[in-house]
Amino acid sequence: MSYLQTEIISHARKVCSLYKRSLRNLESWYDRRPMLRYRAVLLRARFDENKDVKDLRVAQQLLDEGEKELFSLIHYQPKKFTYSPGGVAYEREVAPPDWVLDYWHPMEKAAYPEYFARREQRKKEYIEWWEKTYGKPTEPSH
Amino acid sequence: MASLTKSLRYAALFKPLSVLIPRATTTGLFHTLNMRETNLNIASLQTTELKPVGCMRSYSEKAPLTLDLIEQRVLLVLRLYDKINPDKLKVESHFMQDLGLDSLDHVEVIMAMEDEFGFEIPDGDAEKLLRPQDIIRYVADKEDIYE
Repeated sequence: MSYLQTEIISHARKVCSLYKRSLRNLESWYDRRPMLRYRAVLLRARFDENKDVKDLRVAQQLLDEGEKELFSLIHYQPKKFTYSPGGVAYEREVAPPDWVLDYWHPMEKAAYPEYFARREQRKKEYIEWWEKTYGKPTEPSH
Repeated sequence: MASLTKSLRYAALFKPLSVLIPRATTTGLFHTLNMRETNLNIASLQTTELKPVGCMRSYSEKAPLTLDLIEQRVLLVLRLYDKINPDKLKVESHFMQDLGLDSLDHVEVIMAMEDEFGFEIPDGDAEKLLRPQDIIRYVADKEDIYE
């Protein structure tokens, strides 16, 4: 999940996110599977208790309380996936972005004439597709 | 005296080859020979009787994936989930409409997929993965698998 929120996130998705983070937090705390399952079932029961709350103010309050509780119970060294932020191999191998190829020297490009001809063709097609889907870009007014 | 040496010789003949009798030798040469003998015996025993230990080094590489393999693994995980009826499960079936899961069950399914394939699926992508087909496609895209 990115740190900068760029879209409106629905309440349901916030609850799902809270549930997922709480489960992962439990996974960090309990390394024995049976105990983890027991705790997970209890957690699920607590979420299911309030699943029919229609009043959004109450729901928002419950969500805030849940977030607070998760914050107070968060693990000091949570498990992370290898390539996720915080994981051991996060950004270990940096893949160079595609536009680097556009800045090759013409002599270097000449070594692969077929590829770069097709690349130029693809760029034109992409611009065409963009203008067809989103319309022509407008000039900035300032 | 002669009979004594004879009986000793017989004893030497009858002793099993693998049993080593400690010899009281002061010279280092005999000692090293002895050691070599034991090493040889152990080595020959291991090659004949014990299975050789796998010597493939994988450098924490993942198992090679194909689209078929991804599909099998996804369906296996889903079949083992207790809220899904394995008879109804198909590649095209919708989690909410066909299989009757709710959104929290869907979160659990996505977490099981994360654990199965070893990478995190962000929330924004997870809410679009509503069929096993989508999950297979997503994993294949993530792992650069096209066939």
